[in-house]
Amino acid sequence: MSAWSRRQWLASAAAVVGASAASRPAWAFGDATRMDVAELQLGSGTLSRPNAWTRLLLEVVQTTSVECNPRAFQLEPDDPELFSHPFAVLVGDSALPALSARAREQLVRYLGYGGFLFVDDASGDPKGPFDSSVRSLIASLFPTRPLTVLSADHSVYRSFFLLREPMGRVATHKVLEGVALGSMHPLVYSQDDVSGALDRRADGMDLLPCVPGGEAQRREAVKLGINLALYALTSNYKHDQAHVRRLMEEGRIE
Amino acid sequence: MIEWLFGDAVFAGGHLVFTGAVWVIAVASVATVGALALSLRPLPLRRRAAELGLATIAAGSLVVLAARPVWLAEGERVEPGRTVVLVDASRSMAVAEADGKTRIEHARALLQRFPGAEVYHFGGDLRAGDPVAADLGTTDIGGALQALTRRFAGERLAGIVLVTDGIDRGGLLRETGGERVVDVSGLPPLPGPLTVYQTGAEASVPDLSIVDVQAGSFAFLRAPFTLVVSVESSGLDLEAVPVTLTRNGQPAGSRKVTLDADGRGRAVFEVMPDAPGRFVYEASVPVPATDAVPSNNSMTRAVRVVRDRVRVLQVCGSPSMDQKFLRLFLKEDPGVDLVSFFILRTFSDFGAGYMPEELSLIEFPYQRLFDQELSTFDLVILQNFDYGPYFERDAPRLLSNLAAYVREGGALAFIGGDRSFDLGDYANTALADVLPVALGVPGDSVDPGAFAPVLTESGARHPVTRLDGDSAENRTLWARLPGMDGTNLNLGAAPGAAVLLQHPSLEAAGGPLPVLAVRQVGKGRTLSLSVDSSWRWSFAEAGKGGGNQAYLRFWKSAMRWLVGDPDDQAVTVDVPRENVEPGEVLRVTVRVRDAGFAAVAAANVTGTVTGPEGETPISAPTGSDGAAIFEVPTAVRGAHRVKVVATAADGASLGSAETVYAVVTRDPELDRVVPDGSVLRALAIATQGRYVPPGEWMGALNDPDAGRVVRDRRESPLWSAPILGLIFAVSASASWWLRRRAGRR
Repeated sequence: MSAWSRRQWLASAAAVVGASAASRPAWAFGDATRMDVAELQLGSGTLSRPNAWTRLLLEVVQTTSVECNPRAFQLEPDDPELFSHPFAVLVGDSALPALSARAREQLVRYLGYGGFLFVDDASGDPKGPFDSSVRSLIASLFPTRPLTVLSADHSVYRSFFLLREPMGRVATHKVLEGVALGSMHPLVYSQDDVSGALDRRADGMDLLPCVPGGEAQRREAVKLGINLALYALTSNYKHDQAHVRRLMEEGRIE
Repeated sequence: MIEWLFGDAVFAGGHLVFTGAVWVIAVASVATVGALALSLRPLPLRRRAAELGLATIAAGSLVVLAARPVWLAEGERVEPGRTVVLVDASRSMAVAEADGKTRIEHARALLQRFPGAEVYHFGGDLRAGDPVAADLGTTDIGGALQALTRRFAGERLAGIVLVTDGIDRGGLLRETGGERVVDVSGLPPLPGPLTVYQTGAEASVPDLSIVDVQAGSFAFLRAPFTLVVSVESSGLDLEAVPVTLTRNGQPAGSRKVTLDADGRGRAVFEVMPDAPGRFVYEASVPVPATDAVPSNNSMTRAVRVVRDRVRVLQVCGSPSMDQKFLRLFLKEDPGVDLVSFFILRTFSDFGAGYMPEELSLIEFPYQRLFDQELSTFDLVILQNFDYGPYFERDAPRLLSNLAAYVREGGALAFIGGDRSFDLGDYANTALADVLPVALGVPGDSVDPGAFAPVLTESGARHPVTRLDGDSAENRTLWARLPGMDGTNLNLGAAPGAAVLLQHPSLEAAGGPLPVLAVRQVGKGRTLSLSVDSSWRWSFAEAGKGGGNQAYLRFWKSAMRWLVGDPDDQAVTVDVPRENVEPGEVLRVTVRVRDAGFAAVAAANVTGTVTGPEGETPISAPTGSDGAAIFEVPTAVRGAHRVKVVATAADGASLGSAETVYAVVTRDPELDRVVPDGSVLRALAIATQGRYVPPGEWMGALNDPDAGRVVRDRRESPLWSAPILGLIFAVSASASWWLRRRAGRR
């Protein structure tokens, strides 16, 4: 399937969000049990890209067995409704305001009890104000748990696709960072604007070009997005011995 | 005459001591002087002197009497050194030798060579006197020598004679890595030279025996443990012997053991426990026709098999939040060995345009999991899993495997979702027969409406749904938990199942729709949860500030109940210990509970205790606590199996249970009856003593300088001697005569 035909399919799918995209009968108990996305809204510096997340969820439905409700809900970090959406994202391109103590407490609780947060720097500037404020925010949330670069064999790089380098709309940083709690990283941070690669216009066409790799790079960004969704659900499943042994036997990982 | 006068006192080499109280002497002296002064005042001087002299002698003798004089004579003498004989009186000394005489008879004959010696006998301790019989339960040579040293502390003995067959069980002999080491380092310096006489010749006893079965008292489920059987042969021309092992009477293996030059060998069995509980392993060797002690040709050991980790297989048809939270719970529990398989892609996802080499997916090894490895799991969780696309033509066989796995003791958790229950086409399959709810709902078999599950009466007391020990608090906790997002439908509880949570409004089979139900099926257990949103008990509850304790406790309790050991079944039979002594009072407790875990009173418990003595029937009703207690036989050594069946008052079966116990299999003194000269030789060398082999005679070592100093002390009470009485009588009478002669009264 070519990249163009794929975009066409996604465009048509967007028109009938959700139901028609599901590849099997919709017998689920309701949207509440399906995967969706909560976009954290912190005010200035925060971006909302619901179309990017809708696209990602549709890609997840189309590619994997995961059932999704392809919607993004905009929530403030101290909103109790956050606990109805275990997959959350925070996208921004400039400095973020300081969080209230209540918001910080809820975010720590959210991540500590099983929630997942993907932080996406849309500025393309590795040393920009968004990056500084994200690092300050994470330091205030987890004073004893530093943000560290995820190793090349981390589960997020093999939760569905085997990925060598994480890429988004830009490909300058090419690493993911994260905060570890136990055996899982419930907070993952990218500075390559993954949501920018996923975002699209109302007509379904891609909103932003991917540089420098073009559509091939966008394809890798989509794969990374799917991996993030699967990692949020399966955590370190792909590091179970049965998987590692089999993948090594087949030469797909070293 | 002199000795009589002085009360047998010997005046040479002694001295006088007064034993009377000082104040008595003083009072007597003052009274005497006063009386004399008053009585003699009016007399002329010449007469007064004679009378005063006689009166003074009489009064003085009284004062001396009050002072209670004693003549004390002390001295020392040396007695010759003693010879002490220690005779082994343990039961191995009752074994007959080639000449037909027992070892203890040989020992008694040896005693005749030591006239005048002090004789002691020993087993586990030292006892004075000749051995009446060889009937003591153990042999502790080192302990006997230590007791002897304490008893004769400070005395040098002329000789110590030890008569034994050398079979020590007190620690002189250690076996390390198959090597026999004689360790006499714990012995104290002996109070005299030791001579060891061995009774019984090593080659004279034809005996094949199992001398030891090494196995821990417990083992872990599915973790192999080693069982080492030590074999010994004497007086028999054997190069190799077969060793067989049984578990609860069933063959568990055999080995051929090659014996070394000393007639010893070891058989090593690798045993893989495949079920928890108590098991009796018995190792045995053939009984040769000339075997002197056939009873030591087998040995049993009771081993309790416990779980160290619960091995769980989690199969999920689609990654979801429900699957995520359950995996997190299982993965973080150190007591769980988790194997997860999630279906990440179905056939309908193949058109997404990605090449297989881009994916990290592996094939779902369903054949291996549900065919070959099923029995290695304690618990199988089918979470929103539809078997159809994977099992295909193998579905009937694999689902039958799963049902059989449950009936044979496995555990199954069946969790809802859009691929489970009737949506997974489980109705009319072999697996449906073991589920706690009936399937086959016509039409739409889900209800998407949100609801709050209701705790049932069974749920209020069942361990799976016990979030708090207090019943009222438990109900409050359940009522407070977040609601569910929808449910699979079913046709009601299966026969024998207990419904723990039910739907508040939907019905099935004329009653509330079961949401959470459990069932005992054969030896196994199943649980069905018809929702896919139990994760909200964790995450949503945490969002309210409540934490995830309810979720964790529910699943931990569910897992424990599902994989419950034999002690946690509806009917349990329990013995206080696996190994008991012969004749010990042993009470077996049978407990009967219904599917909802409530105690069943007045249930009829019948069964049998089967052991070497035959079959003993037992029967009793349960009390109000659901318990029936039996006293079971322990008179005969060997393995015993207790089987019980519980039936309700109306005759309905409530279940069955069984266990085993072992009455100590045989006399440890007869485990090994071959005399052991190596121990005795080493003992003689270590103490610079003498070893005398059986059938030979050599005098015992004697220390001519031995002996003991005896101190003599002789007391002769002079105050009771006749001389004092005579002096008083003569002087008093003369004094009285002089007074009367002078005309005085």
